Amino acid sequence: MFALEVRNLSKSFGSLKAVDDVSFAVPEGSVFGLIGRNGAGKTTTIRMMMNIYLPDSGEVILKGSKIGQEFKNMVGYLPEERGLYKKMSVLETLLFFAELKGKTGKSIERKANEYLERFELSDRKNAKVEDLSKGNQQKVQFITTIIHDPEFIILDEPFSGLDPINTNLLKEIILDLKKQGKVIIFSTHLMDFAERMCDHITMIDKGKVILNGSMTEIKSKYAQQNVSINYRGDISFLNGNPIIEKIEDYGNSTGIKVKQPDQVQELLKALVENNITITKFNANEISLQEIFVGLAGGEIEGASKLEVKNV
Amino acid sequence: MFNRRTLSIIKRELREKVLSRGFVLMTLLVPFLFIGLILFQMYLMSYDSNATASLEIISGSEQITSAAQKEFSSLPVVESGSYKISYATMSKEKFDASLPSLQNELMGEKLTGLIYIPDSAVNDKRIDYYSKNPNNNSLFDKLKGSLNKILVNIHFAGKELSDKEISYATKAVDFNGFRISGSKNIKAEGQGNQALSFIFTFLLYLSLIFSGTMIMRSVLQEKNNKIVEVLLSSVDSKELMTGKILGAGITGIAQMAIWLLPLIMIISTSWFVLPKDFTIDITLFQVFYVLLNFFIGLITFLGLFATVGSIFDNDQDAQSSMWPLMMLILIPFYIAISIQNNPEGMIGMVASMFPFAAIIVMPARMALVDIPVWQFVLAVVVNIATMVGIFPLAGKIYRVGILMSGKKPKWNEVVRWLKYKY
Repeated sequence: MFALEVRNLSKSFGSLKAVDDVSFAVPEGSVFGLIGRNGAGKTTTIRMMMNIYLPDSGEVILKGSKIGQEFKNMVGYLPEERGLYKKMSVLETLLFFAELKGKTGKSIERKANEYLERFELSDRKNAKVEDLSKGNQQKVQFITTIIHDPEFIILDEPFSGLDPINTNLLKEIILDLKKQGKVIIFSTHLMDFAERMCDHITMIDKGKVILNGSMTEIKSKYAQQNVSINYRGDISFLNGNPIIEKIEDYGNSTGIKVKQPDQVQELLKALVENNITITKFNANEISLQEIFVGLAGGEIEGASKLEVKNV
Repeated sequence: MFNRRTLSIIKRELREKVLSRGFVLMTLLVPFLFIGLILFQMYLMSYDSNATASLEIISGSEQITSAAQKEFSSLPVVESGSYKISYATMSKEKFDASLPSLQNELMGEKLTGLIYIPDSAVNDKRIDYYSKNPNNNSLFDKLKGSLNKILVNIHFAGKELSDKEISYATKAVDFNGFRISGSKNIKAEGQGNQALSFIFTFLLYLSLIFSGTMIMRSVLQEKNNKIVEVLLSSVDSKELMTGKILGAGITGIAQMAIWLLPLIMIISTSWFVLPKDFTIDITLFQVFYVLLNFFIGLITFLGLFATVGSIFDNDQDAQSSMWPLMMLILIPFYIAISIQNNPEGMIGMVASMFPFAAIIVMPARMALVDIPVWQFVLAVVVNIATMVGIFPLAGKIYRVGILMSGKKPKWNEVVRWLKYKY
């Protein structure tokens, strides 16, 4: 059962096709990752899901019907570009954002106080937002995202600009919400975060979907011919070897792809015979990063030429 | 467009604005500013009347000299010692010859001016004035009446006219203004309505600029603080824009109502008695018309200013690009001031029913002349039509603009935004 379906979304800005026929489905109760480098079209896709942009074509379906205001009310959205009214007090801020979602009254005020307690901000609830530290402002921002008890949580590059403490805090929140059965959708260009947190992913590059599915399926599919090794010595003899499809250096590990799944043992043998000291040999293991590089080419961290920021 | 989310935004805007120090100060200070301006003007006028001068009056005959001596000695400025006048008698030829020797005195501080009254003045009233500043109107105004009287007295001396007749001949014409209006009795008019016209013009101008820049800043701030996308996850851009504009509009109209409160009290109660020359002829209905007319105009301008705020992402760019809007306020402002001289003129009449201009010019004109009902109605219709015409465009630009950042967009790009499917 899908909680949310994105069907054939496209969006252009002038001559630039930011999102090109993107489709995916978000299963109930999942942590869903929308993955791609900066400028791949993640934010534009999410903005269309949030009804902030109208798609040129395509639609977003929630339980059988097109999304509208009622969807906005059940979503907690944390955009990449985020901020708060500097002159408002912390409590006022929380109540205002809850009010926009249609939640008012004593119960929401109690909830705001609970969250402030949990995030150790109780003593600052009457302080102006501008007087808080940046880390505490981020905490207030998290609370505004979830205070109305949303069914869906959509986070666009949630970890950008967070300090380590808040990064952990946000991870805890996400896992906590997952336990409560909420659907969490987040976009990120950080592959290792996605890898650790997501059950399902959709990978997009240059506005197009290049990979789609559950994390375990994807991994087992791409892992069969892949070996990740750490070693000392010179492996240049492998270049041109008929069993090798390609070798990629990822810095702290090297990924080797063999042509057939059953050639993994042959590779190990060849390495040992050539006196290479193996410190780690991980067969059938592939990182999301490796899959992405294999599919999209180039470095994930590098800024794309097709940078479409905030359009 | 209007729902509980819009209401939440309006509430927040009001909390932020009405409780802000700037708003309270502005609202309270403007009336004081007015009183201050009037006092300052009065001071300037009294300063001017205290100006000292030392004059020499030289006339072609003893008869004129002694008449002048007698007449000027009772002049208030001479009695108070501000003007010091010395007298001499000299024929025209002798005066012309001695003029070069007086040049130094006139160039220095000692002598302000030299008045020569030739004998011929008794028949043609032409006299000469020599000074560094030969066009000193305030000095002329003070002496004119007395000089006229002296010359007329001598001219008619021995012609068997009574003092009464001569005093009539020397009297200046006094215009007494009466306002003619459709229904009311004909009433003598003081300067009250002229002052009122100026006050309307000034307050409307001030409030449009003040509220306009305030909403522009507020939109810019939401963009800069990156709140806008957080807001858009709960409300759509139309609700946001409507809420912000209505919030600022209510603030503006409340401020205007507070400013006009003294006027409303003067009309509807007998607590205040204005000096006879400053009585105000205006009805309560007209004051409410001013408020209504202003509210429609304010909403229109707030929409435009909010749009400008949404296009740019820093104060400087926005400030330097809002001149077309400032023109839409400044030109009507100048028209409204200029119609004080001739409120029935073509420009004033057209401007009082012209898009944008009607907001300021109609109230200014209304205070000066009686306006037919159809013109009142037309001005409101034009204002509403302007508002209705502008909002779809403003809303589209706003919707695109608030999520744009980065380099300053060009105007043709902004026009292209209108075609975006957002």
